Amino acid sequence: MTSTSDVIDSLVADAKPVRRLQPPALRALCWLMFAALMLVLVAVGHGVRPDLMLKLHQPDFATSVVAALTTGVLAAMASFIASVPGRSRRWLLLPAPALALWISTIGYGCLTGWVSIGPEGLSLGETARCFATLAITGIPMSLAMLIMLRYVARLSPTPVAMTGSLAVAAMTAAALSLFHPLDATVMILFWNFGVTALFLVLSGLYGKRLLEWVAR
Amino acid sequence: MARETRADGRLDWSISMARAQAGDRDAYRRLLDAITPYLRALAARRLGNRSDVEDAVQDILLTIHTVRHTYDPARPFGPWLVAISDRRIVDRLRQQGRFNAHETPLEAAHETLSVSETNLQEEAADARMLRDAVEHLPAGQRDAIRMLKLEELSLLEASAASGMSATSLKVATHRALKKLREMIKNQEA
Repeated sequence: MTSTSDVIDSLVADAKPVRRLQPPALRALCWLMFAALMLVLVAVGHGVRPDLMLKLHQPDFATSVVAALTTGVLAAMASFIASVPGRSRRWLLLPAPALALWISTIGYGCLTGWVSIGPEGLSLGETARCFATLAITGIPMSLAMLIMLRYVARLSPTPVAMTGSLAVAAMTAAALSLFHPLDATVMILFWNFGVTALFLVLSGLYGKRLLEWVAR
Repeated sequence: MARETRADGRLDWSISMARAQAGDRDAYRRLLDAITPYLRALAARRLGNRSDVEDAVQDILLTIHTVRHTYDPARPFGPWLVAISDRRIVDRLRQQGRFNAHETPLEAAHETLSVSETNLQEEAADARMLRDAVEHLPAGQRDAIRMLKLEELSLLEASAASGMSATSLKVATHRALKKLREMIKNQEA
């Protein structure tokens, strides 16, 4: 066993100058700008849903999109702030109100919209394109988050990874409802909850290992 | 540049860390030397085992080194340090928990096995009882028992040492054994 003073000696010998982290709010802003860029790129490449302007005038749709975007913004802020050692863990609760609003709008739409499920529903092609949007927006956002938060691997990876992935999921879900004509409420429910659950489960299971792998 | 010692003459850890981030090795060494006893106290409060405490302290120092760029000198140093050390101490506790789940501590009760050598404690109790009983014998019988049975002298040696004849030694031993048997039987009852 090496003695503690030997450990200190080797650490001091390795003490190269390091660049301090920017303030967490600024780093969250950078990530959000990157996320926004992804959304704009998809919007340019894929085009928004044809009835977007019409839908945005419907209060429940607008509330749901705004709530999802707010959840994304707050969750990103929360994970960047809480990832710094010594900052309060309560920051992780920051997105909770927006998340509650977002979930309740989905649930409300679901309760009032049963009759709107028509026989024609969604075609398979639309579902496949939804998956494409999901991958195109979700994967780069997750990678950026992983790289920016890699130091948290040796601290408390799981809660931070889960909040970070909530941010990714919320942004992706907002993108899906902006770009795809998902009118069947069951499909909206599926996409919103499904995407969130997918990211949360993956980050809960693999967040720690992924962060450790990126931090190497 | 800010002074590294505070008004009370102690090292200001926050300023030392800020200098260490800039690559000042002396400040870094002073800081690590100063926080090590503090970390040891933090770890000792939660971990019992001394070598575990030292391992935890080294783990914490390594983590501090890896994430030293996350410290913002505008914020207090204490919460940053405690958050990191809590992480490592909890890790160590979990590891201890996993380890201890597979271990059974060896206690005195576990040593009562069928082999007679393992039951030394009971033998010690028996020996003490016998020695007490011998003390209560009349002087002649006590000497006879001591010489012939406990010190295992021969009859000739014993009679030379005590001045008693071989026959009277034999008689005394016989009577002493009879009496001891009675005394021990009474004690156990």
